[in-house]
Amino acid sequence: MGEDKKLEDLLRVIELCRSVETSSANPFDVDIMEKILLLKSKLPQWRFLDELLVDSEALLELTQIVKLQDEWLKHRASSLYIDPLLIQLKIKLLSREALIDAFVKSWHPVAQLDQLSPRGLERAFVYWRDLAPMNERFRNEFGGYGAKPGVVDYQELVSLGVFTKDQFEKSLADLHAELLSKSDGQWIDYAEFVGAKEFETRVRRAYLLAFLISEGRASLKTEPLTGRIWTIGLSEKAGGPSKSVAISVPEAS
Amino acid sequence: MEAQEAQERALLERKVRKAFQVLVLQRGRNPGVKGWEMKRYLGRDYRKIVEVLSEEVSGFGLEVFEVKAPDGSEDASRFLLRFRESPTVTEAETSGIRIDDLAVLAATIAFVNSKQGRVARREVEQFLREKFPKWRVEYSLDRYVKRGYLEQDERTMLHVGWRTRAEVDEKTLMTLILARTQEAAKK
Repeated sequence: MGEDKKLEDLLRVIELCRSVETSSANPFDVDIMEKILLLKSKLPQWRFLDELLVDSEALLELTQIVKLQDEWLKHRASSLYIDPLLIQLKIKLLSREALIDAFVKSWHPVAQLDQLSPRGLERAFVYWRDLAPMNERFRNEFGGYGAKPGVVDYQELVSLGVFTKDQFEKSLADLHAELLSKSDGQWIDYAEFVGAKEFETRVRRAYLLAFLISEGRASLKTEPLTGRIWTIGLSEKAGGPSKSVAISVPEAS
Repeated sequence: MEAQEAQERALLERKVRKAFQVLVLQRGRNPGVKGWEMKRYLGRDYRKIVEVLSEEVSGFGLEVFEVKAPDGSEDASRFLLRFRESPTVTEAETSGIRIDDLAVLAATIAFVNSKQGRVARREVEQFLREKFPKWRVEYSLDRYVKRGYLEQDERTMLHVGWRTRAEVDEKTLMTLILARTQEAAKK
């Protein structure tokens, strides 16, 4: 009988235990008593140190499974146990906002004062002293070349093929007409007007509206106290001084 | 007799002040003070002092909370000051954690608990990717492991971390998640 063949049963026990340990499989799927009896029956055959080491390894893995069984039972007995499939389904059905709300309602953040200790100061000093310059740090990951962040203007978008000139003009005219009809001489909420279900659509509408405002075909005002932003469509081009305002488009609607 | 009582009261007040100072200043890498340290600073009856302090700070919306050690020993328990009531979502935004990342944490804790408290990281990632972008899942899990909300062992199995046990009422979280879906289903 070959060496591997003799040890095959033991190796199989080790493999089974390890697969249970590295997954969320039920540890009770391993029949401990059966495996112990198997080890016992094989024990007289082992003559060499290597064989005995494999045997003890198998026994060690079985003890790990017993430990997992203990934890599994304790957890199952606690009120935290819920059927995994049920909880997965529930999480999938919930919106992010509902998950955040559930978390915040069960959260009691720790209150503490952070302080700088001499040891912390020393660690910070060593960190900054040994920190390589940014161009060296990112060279391996991103290469030595790359464009800095910048502004993409309309001409560039046309040249990149994101818009054709006709499409852009038409989209601009459509949005202007929509703004004129919705605002009807009144200030309307900017976020509501730009708002759309898809993030891409919101960005596109915000970009087009920014273009209309720059052209003087729409206007914008902000309320400093509430932070609310209002917009209005203008049938005639506005004159007067212009002001630059940065408005972020949130990823979540 | 009265003098003795006044002396005892003064001693108690001094110990309560000391307990507050010990708890509020972060000493090591993680917040909180171990049971054996409390015993060293406050004496054998430190639990009574902690109880009095917890009452005292309740006016500020705080409480002293004990995180039991896995082995159940008193010396290894961790005591810390925490909010008595949960914050609002707006207040939570000021905690330094991105509000969207809290949804990832909530889903992860619920998922880990549903899997008997231990689950392979790849399994968690696979599950979360159905709901959140891949980059956010990996980034958030790394961050929460680093901050102690989750623990990852050498076999890359994820467990609920000490910080979750300290800060999150897991039973309430699970109940709210279940209740929320039921409400949504009714609608």
